[in-house]
Amino acid sequence: MKNPLIQLNGITKVFRVGGEDFSALHEINLSIEPKSFMSFVGPSGSGKTTLLNLIGGLDTPTSGDIKFGDESLGDMSPDQRALYRRENIGFVFQSYNLLPVYNIYENILFPFLLANLKESAVRDRVMSIIEQVGLMPQINKRPSELSGGQCQRVAIARALVKEPRLVLADEPTANLDKENSYQILELMLDLNKKFGAAFIFSTHDEKVTKFVRREVGLEDGYVKWDKRRNGVGDFE
Amino acid sequence: MILSIAWKNFYRQGIRAFLNVLVTALTMIALIFMLSLLNGFQVQATRNMSSTDMAGGQYRVPDFDILTPTEWEDRTFSVPDKLHALPSNKKAEVLIQQGQLFPNRRLYPVQLRGMDIDQSLLELPLSGLKAHGPQLDDVIPVVVGNRMAQKAHLEKGSTVVLKWRDRNNVVDARNVLVVDVADFINPRVDEGVVWVRLDHLRKMTVRPSEVSWVAVSDFEGPVDGMEFHTVEMLMADLLALLKQDRRNSRILWAILMFLAGTSVFNTQILNIFKRQREIGTLMALGMEANKVVRVFVLEGSLAAFGAVILALVLGIPFFMWFQSVGLDVSHLSASTMPVRERVFLDIQFFEVVSSVSLVIVLMIFVAWWPVKKISHLDPTMALRGRGIT
Repeated sequence: MKNPLIQLNGITKVFRVGGEDFSALHEINLSIEPKSFMSFVGPSGSGKTTLLNLIGGLDTPTSGDIKFGDESLGDMSPDQRALYRRENIGFVFQSYNLLPVYNIYENILFPFLLANLKESAVRDRVMSIIEQVGLMPQINKRPSELSGGQCQRVAIARALVKEPRLVLADEPTANLDKENSYQILELMLDLNKKFGAAFIFSTHDEKVTKFVRREVGLEDGYVKWDKRRNGVGDFE
Repeated sequence: MILSIAWKNFYRQGIRAFLNVLVTALTMIALIFMLSLLNGFQVQATRNMSSTDMAGGQYRVPDFDILTPTEWEDRTFSVPDKLHALPSNKKAEVLIQQGQLFPNRRLYPVQLRGMDIDQSLLELPLSGLKAHGPQLDDVIPVVVGNRMAQKAHLEKGSTVVLKWRDRNNVVDARNVLVVDVADFINPRVDEGVVWVRLDHLRKMTVRPSEVSWVAVSDFEGPVDGMEFHTVEMLMADLLALLKQDRRNSRILWAILMFLAGTSVFNTQILNIFKRQREIGTLMALGMEANKVVRVFVLEGSLAAFGAVILALVLGIPFFMWFQSVGLDVSHLSASTMPVRERVFLDIQFFEVVSSVSLVIVLMIFVAWWPVKKISHLDPTMALRGRGIT
């Protein structure tokens, strides 16, 4: 087995809801390899999004440790976690979370601005990925002027433009119709091969299952199954 | 980078940003207007008092009290040479005596105010008296103010009996002719006052060269047997009234400020509340918490700066227009406040700066505080819209 990109050791997450503790995840142990194309599946409330947020450093576990390569997220300060996200993670949110006052070009450029890179130095990369996601005709449009599928393409382009080592996509097809869902998944699979970034989805969409090479099933915060397959076909 | 993001966030919000800026600008204008109007009222009141009565102060006999008419006869003095020698634009000799007017066969106690007719220190509409010479005829010329005329049912040309007592306690009576009904800007020298030439009143009361006080433009140093009363002392009751008024206006200002602050606070909080997911997205993309705070503080600062500019654009023409028309306060003419029919603004630099600064600080604070709170939580809280609830 390759050196894992992500290693989760005994991850537990407890939320306090209405004065009572609610365990979203129980003692999760997982290894995720580089260039993975995998999904966390399960019904609502199974802990998929929580697990994704913890891996992305958007949230902190109640107990256990998450390692990214050799670095432990638990040892990082909030600013270090921000740097970790900026340099290593691309996020694709269910509701896109594009910046509303920026157009497509500016939304995709934004991660570079956060890294203090000059626009002139990265313009070609931004234009290239806009070309790849097929949004060149809409380049000057703002999110409010785009369809759901187009917004999701922008979100994917923004997540990939800096060529992160890991892309976390929370229900990326939840707001898309069938045709758009397949287009988006094919696009991500293509980009996974092209850029070599690992993709982790949280989903309960069966369409996603056809594309991923590994599927981790979650129920009530527990890992219920962990299936893999090589190429197209059934999981082992 | 931070400034560029803040600037884009600000100006691309369009109408939302403009309304925020407009409300804040109008708040600033309203605050400055209210304070300046009150200043204008007070400045006009004190200036009118000074120009019609107090001048730069008065030399009086000790214990003279304008509110004790029964002692006016006992509190007169011969004008000292030092004061008498002053030019007519530097002093005004005044003699105050009691009198009783009998308009329509009714008794009307009045203050007979003898004024040196050649003086030019006080601005009084007494030109009607100048036409008459110093000799005391059978009919004594007098001038009354509008308010006095209205209350005593007098008009120009009216003849009415006046009774008074001279230095020897001899009561005398004679007809007086109202030669003019004048517009006095200070009701305190109008209501209950009958203006007479000083030389006439001296002859009537057998008090040659005597006065009740000498109003002067400047303090002329100590004068034997006299007390100098400064304008502040003379206006003590008015200043106390204005001080109380000022205190009340401060409370009103604080209420207005609170309302304006609540409005600005509410607008900003709502703005931040709606943008929680945006804050969460910035954090998810890797922006550090302090940078997120800086972006929003800069946005708040830009909005505040825009509000100042808009306040200038809207406020300057408005204030210029207002200064040309003033505020109608004729309803106050029945009161004893020495104001004209129209009050104009008196804009104080310090008050403008403090009001504007307060609004700006508030705007920046409400841009800083909630974002700081949100940005120090885990980004998931902001992404779920639960950073502030």
